Amino acid sequence: MSETLDCQEAIARLQDYLKQELTPELAAEMHAHLEHCRPCLGYARFEKSFLEMLEAQAHHCGCPGELRARVLRELRIEMERG
Amino acid sequence: MAEPTTTGRPFDAEALPHLDALYRVALRLTGDPTQAEDLVQDTMLKAYRAWHQYRPGTNAKGWLLTILRNTFINDYRRRKLEPVATDLEAIEPHAIYRAVEDVDPEGAFFSKIVDEKVLEAIDALPPDFREVLVLSDMEGLRYGEIAEALKVPVGTVKSRLFRARRLLQGSLYQYAMETGIISPREAPHE
Repeated sequence: MSETLDCQEAIARLQDYLKQELTPELAAEMHAHLEHCRPCLGYARFEKSFLEMLEAQAHHCGCPGELRARVLRELRIEMERG
Repeated sequence: MAEPTTTGRPFDAEALPHLDALYRVALRLTGDPTQAEDLVQDTMLKAYRAWHQYRPGTNAKGWLLTILRNTFINDYRRRKLEPVATDLEAIEPHAIYRAVEDVDPEGAFFSKIVDEKVLEAIDALPPDFREVLVLSDMEGLRYGEIAEALKVPVGTVKSRLFRARRLLQGSLYQYAMETGIISPREAPHE
């Protein structure tokens, strides 16, 4: 398979690649490009740490216990109503 | 106790594990803890009543977040979404990377910023951008699921995400510079 992706295309597709939203063929092209393009790989690492930070945010905050209890209470009432 | 089920999976078992995600998204959409709590409760009751419409095997989190988002739009949001500014078209994808690649090429500064400031910066995004970023990058919904929830084409989701990420990176970079989390390259000595 010949190298078909240039840096501009790789950069344009990078976020979809990191979010695993590319087709397997496109993802393979991206993977091949990143393997031997240091500038694009550097940029990919940067974007990855941005996306990982956002994912981590989600684990730092959850539903307060009081709200959970309130929702359960309301659901019970609703269920008993039938 | 009467309890709607879809192929045996009770509502509780499918929906309750997503309360954390519902609350987080509600908080980002409303910007207010009290409203967020009411929104979560309304969403859960609506979802319970609509449980027969849930398609088993699809992402329950996406289904619940769609109900939450629709409830927010219909019952909570006071003002119309402002039209999205168009001067963002010219943003270069790697503008912030270029600015920091000499001092922090790995983007370590992102995780050095306290959560509160990150959330503030997310809340400051235009609503259209904020909602896709929260659903995709914090809650992990697929582009297709977001498109379905928002009733917009996948291309629209992607372009909003692109802009949301660029804007957020820009404001986090700004904050990191102002607070010294990133220090500009030292000027070379004479």
